[in-house]
Formats: sequence, structure tokens, C-alpha cells
Amino acid sequence: MELDFLATVLLSSLSSASILLIATIGLAVVFGLMGVINLAHGEFLMIGAYTALTVTQAGVPYILSIPIAVAVTMAIGALVEVLIINRLYGRLFDTMLATWGLSIVFYQLAVLIFGTVTPGIGMPQFSMAIGEYSLAGYPLLMIGVAAAMLVFVYLLMTRTVYGMKARASIQVPQMAQAIGIESSRTNMLTFSIGCGLAGFAGAVLLPIVPATPSMGFAFVIKAFLTVVVAGPVTLTGSALTAIGLGGGASVTASFMTSVVGDVFFFVITALLLWLYPMGISAKWRRKL
Amino acid sequence: MSLSEKLYKNAGLVFPAVAILLALAFSGQIDPYLAFVATSWVIFGLLGLSLDVVWGRGGLLSLGQAAFYGLGGYFGSVVAINLAPATGNTLIWALPAGAAFGALAAAALGYIIFFARMGPLQSTILSYTFTLLLWSVTQTFKLDVGEAAIGGDNGLSNIPGIVLGVGEGAQSLGPNAAFAAAVVIAALLYFVTRWLMRGTFGRIVDCIRIDAEKTELLGYDVRKYQLLNFAYSGALAGLAGALFGLWANYLNPSIFSVQEALLVPIYVLVGGLGTLSGAFLGALAIGGLSFFLGGGAVGGQTTLILGVVLILLVLFLQNGILGGLGNLWRKALPDPNEAARNAGAVKIDSAVLGEILEDAAKDAGPAKNMGTVEAFKQFGGVIPVNKVTQSFTPGKPYSLIGPNGAGKSSFLKACVGMYRPEGGTVTLGDEDITKAPIFDRVRKGMGVKNQKPQVFGELTVADNLWTAAFARTKDRVKAEDVAAKILNMLGLEGQSDVQASALSHGQQQWLDIGMVLCLAPRVVLLDEPAAGMTNEETRELSSLVRTLARHTTVVVVEHDMEFVRTLEGHVTVLHQGEVFAEGDIEALRADDRVLDIYLGRSEHV
Repeated sequence: MELDFLATVLLSSLSSASILLIATIGLAVVFGLMGVINLAHGEFLMIGAYTALTVTQAGVPYILSIPIAVAVTMAIGALVEVLIINRLYGRLFDTMLATWGLSIVFYQLAVLIFGTVTPGIGMPQFSMAIGEYSLAGYPLLMIGVAAAMLVFVYLLMTRTVYGMKARASIQVPQMAQAIGIESSRTNMLTFSIGCGLAGFAGAVLLPIVPATPSMGFAFVIKAFLTVVVAGPVTLTGSALTAIGLGGGASVTASFMTSVVGDVFFFVITALLLWLYPMGISAKWRRKL
Repeated sequence: MSLSEKLYKNAGLVFPAVAILLALAFSGQIDPYLAFVATSWVIFGLLGLSLDVVWGRGGLLSLGQAAFYGLGGYFGSVVAINLAPATGNTLIWALPAGAAFGALAAAALGYIIFFARMGPLQSTILSYTFTLLLWSVTQTFKLDVGEAAIGGDNGLSNIPGIVLGVGEGAQSLGPNAAFAAAVVIAALLYFVTRWLMRGTFGRIVDCIRIDAEKTELLGYDVRKYQLLNFAYSGALAGLAGALFGLWANYLNPSIFSVQEALLVPIYVLVGGLGTLSGAFLGALAIGGLSFFLGGGAVGGQTTLILGVVLILLVLFLQNGILGGLGNLWRKALPDPNEAARNAGAVKIDSAVLGEILEDAAKDAGPAKNMGTVEAFKQFGGVIPVNKVTQSFTPGKPYSLIGPNGAGKSSFLKACVGMYRPEGGTVTLGDEDITKAPIFDRVRKGMGVKNQKPQVFGELTVADNLWTAAFARTKDRVKAEDVAAKILNMLGLEGQSDVQASALSHGQQQWLDIGMVLCLAPRVVLLDEPAAGMTNEETRELSSLVRTLARHTTVVVVEHDMEFVRTLEGHVTVLHQGEVFAEGDIEALRADDRVLDIYLGRSEHV
């Protein structure tokens, strides 16, 4: 029985860590490939969730609502890049302030349009039994989704022309331009993909995390901490950090309250940053 | 000096004073409701001031000011609820308690940020998540402290008002008198902050913002100043929070909310970053705007407008109201950097320099030896410093030469402490300094000049030298004395009031060397000092280095063989991180192996 309990805690922790990773990947891509911290990331997640919700309520099957949510957030992301981010390259903190303003605008718009409370959609009903414990199946499915997202981003960055251009643009921007890569277009696409990943996260997590205007804030704390702890090698770093920190916080939360889990997360993050002030991957030799 | 110039110099004193007098004069007559709301603008201005201290002056964008504000508010209010009934006066309890708690919280967070030497991004994100964390923790946090009951998202009520009188029957001030009291408190804090930021402390905080590495190379413990500045800003925020508690009579977790935190940088940006008084102007402008838009308190659609305002500010109005006005005004004044164009050539008088160095020896003790034993540094597969054992003594200059990538600069950086060697030891005098932080090495007598000139561009030439001299003397008058001597020697008296950024590249190199001399170093390390200098300047530099070497230990990393020859000192050739050859320059010039590695001929490459 002890063993069953342990397995249950481990599995559910792994699934919470995966959920965190799903919510973080978009942020990590934008930060890693553009050096931009998008403080409105959580709100893109929210936009994805609301899009999926609205579309589902209109009668579209849930599974089809996910690509729609991705398309909508990618479009908004591209627009934001052209209007705001594009003018602020090289000014990291100004970008942060501007996207912060944007996050509050999105939040307030969501309150105006949808109100503060909205109905969730039911979680697809299937579960898994371990001994006398039963785990909901959908959250466990997220482990697979997170892994799939990682593989997708990895292939996108290493196997496509766009990925090569994007990585060239961030490593040596002048050289990339000198050999004819139009870095502003690459950047627009990167930002848009980052937002699309956030939208995907919002939509795919909708059965677990109901859409509310403030859902972004709840997610971003951990997502931001994950990305800065990860450091310059964002993709691998974020995956490791999300599993370590997210899993740890979830284990803590399952024995105590979720607030204690949050505090644990923050304290461990501070500790990790104490040991690795520029992020855990600052001295790694690989670059993705 | 014209009236306009005088006024410009004292603008931070005159205009706020006028504004305070006007506010006090009208405080009795305005509509009580307006007075009530305007009190909150003054409090928000204080909160903005706390951010301007740490961001505009200290250079760290802290999104945690709202957290210190909230913590100070809660703590100050709890203390006031319990202790104020005994005395009547609430301010004497709430304000110091709020300030102390805010300072403590900021110091705790700042300790982690600064002593770990966290990157700027990590610092900002950590401060932001600190606020968000408090917001989520306080939702469920319930605690009874004496008479005060903190009730999670029900908040903390029954906070007494602003009471000035003493004794049992003392009453809360009415809205108009409370407004006047808040103005007086804010005015006091503003002037104290201004005094602090114009003094030595503020100077060093400014230097850290402009170039933290250089500040540490002058021997200042950068972390300590950053921590103190952060704690001071936390105290300001905490005090503002306590005053807010007394004003509102009620606090709840929304004080930590993102909407609240968002306002703080808006106030500072609207008013003008780094101007101190701008924070109050920003709070007045935003508060006035939302009062005019209706509702008075910030909420509802105002949040939407404020989000847009922040985006527009960042995109189009970086300097804020005061910054923009200041720029316009400065254009109408005579240009203080005019003198930079009339600077003559530097002429080093070795007699004068010798005198300065003898004075320095009296203060700082005799020259010290420096040495390394088997120093080893590795980056992945590259080994830029491979078991280098060298010993440097006073008398004649030492030169380190070698082709690109030989490890010259890396070796120097290992000596300075910018790189921590993985093996071997570095000694200064009789002390092992292998693990000492940079500022500690400088205090023990190391003077470092990096390849590119490092001067504080926004400061005047005289202030640059003074800051360096003060690091050693810790005495304002003595520092002025030392700085004046070096200024004369460099022949820059005419440019003493010019901003260092207006100097030419060569002049900046000399100013940087002058700053190193102000430290009266016992060992001088120069990384490619002749880079970018004209032939005449290189000659003067050579004479300076030779004079220096008679009084202290001097190590020069240099590419220019001709310059190395004029130094007439000991030369070490580095190749692939190892000592390749040593001796005087003539012998090395005749050595075929040295020529091979320099020219890339195949024998020894």
C-alpha cells in the first residue's frame, strides 16, 4: 500500500511538472531565441483557453478547438511583435515593462468580455487505478503532451530552415543579417510561435485549469522562475528545471497545502539562483 | 553663473519646496473629499520614490516595491492597533514599524540578489515573483496579534487613523489636516533622500549603476552599497505602506496585487526616471487623471487605460515629464562640455609623478610583490592559463606578450580576480589572495586598468578622480587633495567640469590611468594601455610606466613590440596558456622560436 501511495504521488507530481513545462515552453522559446521576456505570456495562455472555451461552446469538438486557439494566439502574437516588441529590441527591461502593461490590458479586456467567473468544460472521463488509488487520466496524458511539445520544438529548431535562421539570428545577429537573413521577420515568427505555444497550453490545459481572466498570473510565477533558473540554454534547461522544481513543489503540495508548495518553489528557486546566479545552464557547452 | 544656471542646479530643491508650500497653503481650503483622495497620491508618490531610488539611481528594476509597501503596511498597522491606544499618536508607532519591516524584507531579498551576484534579469524576476507570492500567501494567511486580526482575504480592519495629538482624547485628523500631515512627511523623506543621493553614498550608488565592475575595481564593496540602497528603498516603501494603512483604515491582500504593483513604475516613468521628485509628479498626474476620469480610486476601466499608458510611455516617452523638461532647459544653458574640445596633449612630468608616488607610499606602505604558482584556468576544453608560475617585484616593468589567444589577458584576469583559477595560488605581498574578491585585492594594493577605458561617463572628470581617491582615503577633503594633484599631472584642469563621456578616447585612457593612480596602488596591472593612443601619447605612457615601476610593481600586457622595447623591462612570452620564453626584449627578438609563434610559422605552432 505504501508503495502504491508513493507511485501515485510520483505520477501525479510528474504530471504537475509536465503541466508546468507545457505552460513554460512558449516563454522559454521566446526568451531563448530573442532574449525577450514576455510578461504577457500568462495572458496569451488565457487567450488560448478562452478561445478554446468559446469555440467549444459554439459546438466545435474540443479537440478541434485546440488548433483554432493556436492560430488565434499566433496572430495576436505577430501583431504585438510588429506594434511593440519590434521597437524595443536590445532594451530588455523596457520590453518587460511594455509586455507587463500589455498583460494588464488583456486581463482587463477579459474581465470586460467574459466576467470574472466562467464555466469550465468537463474533463474527459477516464482514469487509471494503482492499487486502491485512482488517478484521473487526463492530467497523466499531459506527461505525453509535454514530451511531444519538447520534441516538436527541438525538431523545429534543428530540422527546419526557420530554426536555423532563428538560432543564427540570436547567436550572431550582425553575421546573420550579413548573410541575408532578415532577422526582423524571423523574430516576428519566433514571437508568434512562442505565443502560439502559450495558446496551445491554455487550450490543452482547459479541462484541468478552467479559463479565468486571472489564470495567467497563477501560471506565470512558476513559468518565469523556471525560465530564469534555466538560464541561457533555455530548452533543455527549462525541461530539467520544470521537472525538478515543478515535481518538488507538487510533492510538497500533496503533503501540505498548495500555498506551501508555492513557497517551497520560490525558496528553492532563490537557492538555485544563489548557487547559479546566471541560471543553471550558464556554463553548459550545448546551446539548445 | 546666470540665474537660469543657478536655478537649474538647484531645481530639485526649489521647485519641490514651492510645491510643498503651495500644497500646505491650500490644504485648508480644498474640498475635503479631494483632500482625502489627494492624500493617497502623496503616499503613492512616496512609493514611487522608493522605486526611483533603487531603479533610477541603483539601476535595478525592482518589481518588489509593492511587496515591501504591503508588508510595511500590515506590520505598521498591527503595531499601531496594539500600541497607539496608549499614546494617542499613531504616527510614532506605525511609521517606524512599517519602515523597519520594509527595510528588513528588502534586505533579506537584496541579500540573496546581490551577494549571489545575480544577473539583472534574475533579480527583476525574483523581485516580481516575490510580490506575486505574497499576494497568494496573504489570501489565506490568518493571524491574531493582540487586538489586530489579520483575516486572509477578509483583510485587516480597525486600523486607527492619522492621529497627531497625544493622550487619551486625541482624535484622528480630518481629511484636510491629514493631507497636510502626509505632505509634511513626504517632504521630509524627499529631502532626506535627496541629501543622501547627492552625498558620497549616492555618488557610489550612481557609479555602480554606470559601471559596477569599475566601481569594484576602485575597491568599493559593490554588494554592500547595493544592499544598503535596496534596504533604504524598502524602508521608504514600508513607511508609505504604513501611512496608507492609517489613511485607509483597512488593508487586504490586493495591496500585493499586480494591478497595484504595475502603478509604481508608471509613476516613476511619467515623472522621469532618476529624478526623485518625478515620482511625486507621476503619482499626481496619474491620480489626477483617474480622479478626473471618475471614481477617484484606481480601478475598473482605469486599469485598462493605465496598461496602455505604460506601453506608450515605454515606447515614446522614456525620460518622463521632468526628464523631457530638463533636456529642453539644458539646451538653453551654456554647454559645460565645451572645454573638452580645447584640451591639450598630456605631458607626464616624472618629477611630479615621483612626488605623488612617494606621498602614496607614505600612506599606503611600500610596494608589494605579486606572484602566481602553477595558476590554472580552464573553460571547457580551452586552457587559457596553464600552470603559470611568475613572480613580479618592484624596480622595472614586467611585460607579458604573445600572439592572440596566448592567454595574456586571461592570466591578468586571474590575478585581478575576474576569473577564479581552478588550481594554483595567487599571492600579493605575503598574502594568499587566490580566493579574495576583487574589491579586497584592490584594497590590499592592486590597481587595475582594463583594455578599454573605464570611466563614469555621466560624472565630471574631477568627480571621477575624486571617487577613486575617496575609495582609498575615506576622507572627503583628502580625496579632493589627491584628485587635484592627479588632475594637474594629467593636464586636465581646464576639463575638470567636463563629463567624462565627452572626452576623446585617448583622454579617457589617461583619466582611467589617473583613477588607478588615485588608489596609490602597490601593484599596477595594465592591459594593453597603449591601444588607441597616438605616438606622442605612447611615449608619455612609456615614461609614466617606467617612473611607476621605480616606486611600485608594474605588469603590462601589450601587443605593441615597439612600446615594450621602450619599457626596458623584463619580458615574458606566453603561448597557448603557458610560459614560452622569458628574458629581455633584445634576446627574445633574436629567438627564432618566439618569431615562429608570433608569425604563425609552422615550427612551434
